[in-house]
Amino acid sequence: MDTLLEQILPSLSEVIGTLLVLAAATAVIEVVVYLIAGRLLKSRHLLVWMLVAPAAVGLLVLIVYPLLWELNLSLTNMSLRRFGDKAQYFWQVCAASGGPSGPSWLLECLGKNYADVFRLPVLKQVQFFPVFLRTVVWTGVNVAFHVSLGMGLAMLLNRPMRGRGIYRALLIIPWAIPQVIAVLAWRGEFHYEYGYFNIILTQFGLAPIEWKADPTWNFVAMILTNVWLGVPFMMVILLGAMQSISGEYYEAAEIDGASGYQQWRHVTIPLIQPVLTPAIILGTIWTFNNFNVPYFINQNELESSDILVTALFGAAFEYNRYGFAAAFAFVIFILLLVYVLLYIVLTGTLKESTR
Amino acid sequence: MKRTMFLTVLGLLLLGAFALAGCAQQAAVPTGPVTIQLWHQEGEAENAAQYVQALADAYTAEHPNVTFELSNKNTEVLREDFITASLAGAPPSLLWTVNDHAGPFTTAEIIVPVDDLFDLGDYADSALAAVELNGQHWGVPISNGNHLMLYFNKDLVSDAPADTEALLAMAQDLKGQGVTPLVYNQTEPFWLVPWLGGFGGSVFAADGVTPTLNTPEMVATLEWLKQLKDDEIVPAESDYDGADTLFKEGQAAMIINGDWTLGAYKDLFGDKLGVARIPVVSSTGDAPAPYTSGKFFMIPTGLDEGTQAVVVDFIEFATNNDNQLAMVSQLARLPALKTALEDESIAADAYLAGSADQMVVGVPMPTVVEMRCNWDSMKPEMLAVLAGDKAPDQAAADMQAAADACLTTLE
Repeated sequence: MDTLLEQILPSLSEVIGTLLVLAAATAVIEVVVYLIAGRLLKSRHLLVWMLVAPAAVGLLVLIVYPLLWELNLSLTNMSLRRFGDKAQYFWQVCAASGGPSGPSWLLECLGKNYADVFRLPVLKQVQFFPVFLRTVVWTGVNVAFHVSLGMGLAMLLNRPMRGRGIYRALLIIPWAIPQVIAVLAWRGEFHYEYGYFNIILTQFGLAPIEWKADPTWNFVAMILTNVWLGVPFMMVILLGAMQSISGEYYEAAEIDGASGYQQWRHVTIPLIQPVLTPAIILGTIWTFNNFNVPYFINQNELESSDILVTALFGAAFEYNRYGFAAAFAFVIFILLLVYVLLYIVLTGTLKESTR
Repeated sequence: MKRTMFLTVLGLLLLGAFALAGCAQQAAVPTGPVTIQLWHQEGEAENAAQYVQALADAYTAEHPNVTFELSNKNTEVLREDFITASLAGAPPSLLWTVNDHAGPFTTAEIIVPVDDLFDLGDYADSALAAVELNGQHWGVPISNGNHLMLYFNKDLVSDAPADTEALLAMAQDLKGQGVTPLVYNQTEPFWLVPWLGGFGGSVFAADGVTPTLNTPEMVATLEWLKQLKDDEIVPAESDYDGADTLFKEGQAAMIINGDWTLGAYKDLFGDKLGVARIPVVSSTGDAPAPYTSGKFFMIPTGLDEGTQAVVVDFIEFATNNDNQLAMVSQLARLPALKTALEDESIAADAYLAGSADQMVVGVPMPTVVEMRCNWDSMKPEMLAVLAGDKAPDQAAADMQAAADACLTTLE
């Protein structure tokens, strides 16, 4: 048996080149920022610029550039028959074929893919709005359970008790397991004959459930799995926030005769709001975009279990509608952006944080 | 005049010599370091992934400057990833995959034809037919078959049922013994297609590109599959791994599975393994017609000269007579090389003879890109029928509608 070093050396040798390039690139970025911000502009915030610059360049390369490339793709007719360099912008197609002018030009010659997202099936037959509605239901139900169960567990753990550390560690396990592994394990438990749930049901004399074949129960299976996966994150976040609340508030409330519920409503909730709001926003975005759970639990590929991101995956990689899928991705992005902005405005979170 | 003619002939001879030398130089395997990224969809459970690794290692032993990076991917993932990688300009060097991938890959023009790179006359016509599109061949065959057939456990079943009536009768006895009579992968339409052939149907019209799914034959096929489930001849739910496990553990008497598992089943069951044709459909008298193709090497476009030379050399190495016979011995798959097919060891092997017998009534799997529409349309409707959510006639109509809609997206 090779020693540990002998086992990991081949992997190290594969990545060492990349690491050296990254280190060199970071050094170059720092030198450039120092010369420009420090020597040329004589900025007072040189240290800030130098600390932020490598991450900013990384974000530009890994996020901004792919987004711009995808925006470009969304304006083309790229598919399997018009692959790579053979794809054309829709306005080129229109120009060649004498396409429409005026307002129609926007829908048919510039943003045709964006219009098609709303007027053509996004998968085999299902249209955009039913899938969107299903995604909203999926997100709402999951986030509601995540927050309520997470808060409940956080409140239980936010008390002095024996073995609290062990309980916390056990409750974090779903979060620690790689998500795909956990989802595949859950999928096995939804097996009609040999899955844990149906075995329990039959033991109680109930009929087994077609978790994978029945549209409703498959959706329930997805929710059960995602709730199990998502509660630990919310629990940990809220527990941290609760532990930062000074006990004096609760003492004062007790003196004023507040009940347990009133303390929770008027002390706990307002004071964890700066943490709860971003947690809910993040949880909503992650659940809205959750690919692993719907994709793997929906083993029978029921269109009734597809949410927007799995439909997007199908459009791009199963049906090779690349331009359409790029536009679809941007529609999803804009939906989430609108949601985040609305949430922040309606909850007044920005006002709270700048107070 | 004579001098002129002599000089002309000499000039032509010299030109020919230089041309030949040029060709030889183009085909020469480079001596510098070359890395070949080979993507394949062979599984470890069938010992096939190990076989691919062994081939790569053997080639490297003879050519130390060539190293292989093997990636095993599920069939559909391999298709998706290869198209995506090609779009990104970073495809692998070589693919080891199934024939129906040639359809989308040729449509996107991301693989090269192999007619000029190999002497295809060395390979079986039946295998080559599976990768022929638009008058060219788009893959080099590795194995011949990739078809479904009936395996049975002789400890539980003395002989395979000849037809579906016999299957139903046999199933009642087996159920009484607490054994699942038959298992198969109920989640993929690849297992539906043989029965469709047995009921006299086909997924395409005579033109080979127009889906014909809303037919009485498809309805009959769906009714048959539903009957198998309702009569508890097959499990209530079973994917590929579930069916394979039940058969391997001796809890199922028969399995409909592919020739790719023959080697693994032989190793496990030994003499207790039986191989036969899928039972004839009693109502029509026709034998089920599984799709036949094989496994193929496909070469991505855009390879540099040196890498392509190594790829061509490796393919010739992997499909030479010795390695083809080694594949027969280790994986129990029918070879694609003609000389290997004619080897007496093949005729003497009862299992391979059984596999070849099933191939006789098989049909070549369509390679056209429109086949994607058929697969995607059949799957959810078949599953809806099995779940009891949809009647077979409605499912067949919906399959057709979905396939027709899919065809428009290909444009």
